[in-house]
Amino acid sequence: MGSRASTLLREEEIEEIKKETGFSHSQITRLYSRFTSLDKGENGTLSREDFQRIPELAINPLGDRIINAFFPEGEDQVNFRGFMRTLAHFRPIEDNEKSRNPTASEPLNSRTNKLLFAFRLYDLDRDDKISRDELLQVLRMMVGVNISDEQLGSIADRTIQEADTNGDSSISFNEFIKVLEKVDVEQKMSIRFLH
Amino acid sequence: DDEVFSSNEGHERERHRGRRRDGDGEKKKRKKRRRKEAHRAEEGEDEVQTRHERREREKRKRAKNDLETKGREREEEEEQVQTGSGKVAKTKKNTKNEKTRRRAEEGEVEVEERIEKRKKKHGSDNKDEEVRPERLTPEELEKLKEAVDERKKLIQSLRGKPWPMKKKLVTLRESQEFVEKYEGALGKGKGRKLYAYKVMMTKKCMKFQRDFENFKTACIPWEMKIKEIESHFGSSVASYFIFLRWMYGINMILFGLTFGLVMVPEALMGRPYGSMPRKTVPRGEETSAMDFAVLWDFGGYAQYSVLFYGFYNNQRAIGWLKFRMPLSYFLVGVGTVAYSYMVVIRTMARNANESGVGDDNSFNFSWKMFTSWDYLIGNPETADNKFASITTSFKEAILEEQESHKDDNIHLTRFLRVLANFLVLCCLAGSGYLIYFVVRRSQKFALDGLENHTWWERNEVNMVMSLLGMFCPMLFDVISTLENYHPRVALQWQLGRIFALFLGNLYTFIIALMDEINIKREEEKIIKFNITMWEASLYNGTVSENSTAPSITINPADVPRGPCWETMVGQEFVRLIISDTMTTYITLLIGDFLRAVLVRFLNYCWCWDLEAGFPSYSEFDVSGNVLGLIFNQGMIWMGAFYAPCLPALNVLRLHVSMYLQCWAVMCCNVPQERVFKASGSNNFYMAMLLVILFLSTLPAIYTIVTIPPSFDCGPFSGKNRMFDVIHETLESDFPAWFSKVFSYASNPGLVLPFILLMVLAIYYLQSTSKSYREANVELKKKLQTVTFHLALVYFCTFEYTLNKNINATLLFLLPFFMR
Repeated sequence: MGSRASTLLREEEIEEIKKETGFSHSQITRLYSRFTSLDKGENGTLSREDFQRIPELAINPLGDRIINAFFPEGEDQVNFRGFMRTLAHFRPIEDNEKSRNPTASEPLNSRTNKLLFAFRLYDLDRDDKISRDELLQVLRMMVGVNISDEQLGSIADRTIQEADTNGDSSISFNEFIKVLEKVDVEQKMSIRFLH
Repeated sequence: DDEVFSSNEGHERERHRGRRRDGDGEKKKRKKRRRKEAHRAEEGEDEVQTRHERREREKRKRAKNDLETKGREREEEEEQVQTGSGKVAKTKKNTKNEKTRRRAEEGEVEVEERIEKRKKKHGSDNKDEEVRPERLTPEELEKLKEAVDERKKLIQSLRGKPWPMKKKLVTLRESQEFVEKYEGALGKGKGRKLYAYKVMMTKKCMKFQRDFENFKTACIPWEMKIKEIESHFGSSVASYFIFLRWMYGINMILFGLTFGLVMVPEALMGRPYGSMPRKTVPRGEETSAMDFAVLWDFGGYAQYSVLFYGFYNNQRAIGWLKFRMPLSYFLVGVGTVAYSYMVVIRTMARNANESGVGDDNSFNFSWKMFTSWDYLIGNPETADNKFASITTSFKEAILEEQESHKDDNIHLTRFLRVLANFLVLCCLAGSGYLIYFVVRRSQKFALDGLENHTWWERNEVNMVMSLLGMFCPMLFDVISTLENYHPRVALQWQLGRIFALFLGNLYTFIIALMDEINIKREEEKIIKFNITMWEASLYNGTVSENSTAPSITINPADVPRGPCWETMVGQEFVRLIISDTMTTYITLLIGDFLRAVLVRFLNYCWCWDLEAGFPSYSEFDVSGNVLGLIFNQGMIWMGAFYAPCLPALNVLRLHVSMYLQCWAVMCCNVPQERVFKASGSNNFYMAMLLVILFLSTLPAIYTIVTIPPSFDCGPFSGKNRMFDVIHETLESDFPAWFSKVFSYASNPGLVLPFILLMVLAIYYLQSTSKSYREANVELKKKLQTVTFHLALVYFCTFEYTLNKNINATLLFLLPFFMR
């Protein structure tokens, strides 16, 4: 079958997505409507231009990186399955889930996986470390040319100094988790379904 | 195999879509045609109509059949492709959905057809949409009800359907129209119209409430301007503008009070201009009364109008309303002060409650880096503002870092600070003496007669005060570089020093005023004597003094007039406010705008870089402007009793200031090099305002209580003291027992224990509030959160009915609140 485009969502596909991501039936259908409304070419896949059409992503300094997170390595189109796989990170954590099955593999929307998603936005070369250069890049995107280079360098150094515990002058994933310990990631990095 | 299959599907999809589009078009055409039919006369067109309808019906049936076959084909294919019986159940459910929908449609179509048939039979030619349910048989009614219920269910479940958005929207619109049209018609009996009406009203009410909330948020004046300034210049500059807006609100209320309760009644119901001596320009001044110079100085016609105290008549009750003018005047004066106290203290209390969250400084920079973008911003301008504010907040954080790492040589710093304070004290003493000297000189000039002196000598006091106000703060600024404080602390010291400077100026001004008042009162005695002489000379030779003489009509302009010290005081205040305003605007235009223009355009042909070195663009002077505002308000409070026009003037001035300064800041100023976060609560400004309020009401109260009012001008003329009006009202307007109660209540034996009780209550409340505050801090520590939204929330918020603007505005503001 391969990656067959499907226009109307079939029940068994919904079941598969449900198993893989954990979204409920109604949530999947709502996300599907969203998917199709973005899919201007009506060919069942989204391209980067489709994402760029969302104004909030277009003006976001990290917008390109967020969009890239949807597309698997080297591909230019993402179908609904891939779309859902990425969105699975943003599924709200329900209370009963937290205590359900500690031995099973971690679901895609656990706190750690949400933070991993955010971490990958900054760690471009996928070496599991946010280096000083990567921080500088992010800073440059956020403040433009309004702050001088040395000041930006100092900010990056200061950030690393705050977060780095093992002294390797870069922020590893565990250090990243520690930094955002007090941030309510479960609530903020979740889709708010309006029922 | 796959390809053939998919191409088949593609074709079918095309046809399906085409059919649906036709269906849509047909539906629209049907609606139009139905209306046309209803409005046309029936006779000649019956035949045509029936033919049309028949054709329509056939077409509809065909469309339906096609859909059915399509659906069935698809199902069959799905069955072919999928294996497993479980799937068949799912497809069956799909078909059931389709079937119920189609049945609903069928039901509607039948009912509609029947309705049209009925209409034609009975020749209804008015509104076609109105259904007369009594014409429908019970089973038709039942069918209609079923159809409406189906539609309602469809609307409810629309969200869960795996359809594309466009289809859902179209279906939603159709269903809503259908339900609206026929729902009301289904209510039982007489209540059906009412039921439809009620349903419509609830919906409209909800929509109205939402729109009203939107409107209220949009109504906050100047909000977007201030937000823009905040993102470019930081929170300390923005705090000035927020303060300005708050003052504007207070002044509007004061304006309402004085205008509505003092100026308007006198203008409408009092004696008109020219009917009394106090309301007329004296004969001697008449020729110059309309000159612009005189009017600008608030003399001439401006002086003898409702704008000033002297115009008001002391008649106890005026007009058909029996409006108690003197009482109202007094109470409005007291009321403005009381209202101001109440508002300032209430704002201080509210600010104290919202004092900032104890900043957790552990990951300051990391949080700023990773979590400062607001992912819900969709507007490009907002995004620009957000960039600017992120930059500003980084700069603020850098500053805080630098401050905390400063190398402290304690002794040197302390010595320098003591030196700086000493210098400042010298400055203040010097300026105080200068003002005293100038005031003495102007008194001497006044005794010589004002016409003999040049313009400068006449306006010396005002000019000197304005100049001091301009140059001394700069001097203080230079001195404060010795002290090396954190900028926020330095700002507070600066504010304190300039405050002391202005205070000195203010009190010298008041002392000068008091001297003038005393002079006028001396004059009054002389004039009173002269008037009796003059009156006697009028009756001279006609009748003896003791008998009642026939009143001789004398033109009020000719009557000799007593000096009216209250009007004079009012005039002085108004002149001061005007000159202050002019000075501020001119310094703004020259100091900021002209400077910016010069720096920008002369830079092309100048030896050194004007923009980087001297003079460069100016920074916005927060302290100077805030103090100017506060002292301006102090003037208003002091003078409002004697010149009811002052709040009106101030409202105008603040309005213009707001626009002028907002423009000037964005156009001519650059953000400060060291951008710092303003103190969380605005209580520093409020505290200063409270002090000024207290200090400025003191002189007014003193004059009211000790100085007897002029004998021939103002609403209290003839009384011994101004507050006698209260006494008079109590005696004449209230029943007898009231004054007795009042006299008991003002007994010191009762007042002292009352005061003691209040003091105890204050102490108790303060201790409970302290304990609450501590508990609050503990709770806050547990609830630390930082904003961190992500854009993918957008994917799933699909309330198209909700106003997107609310979302954007509210969510844009959220990070500001949660900072």
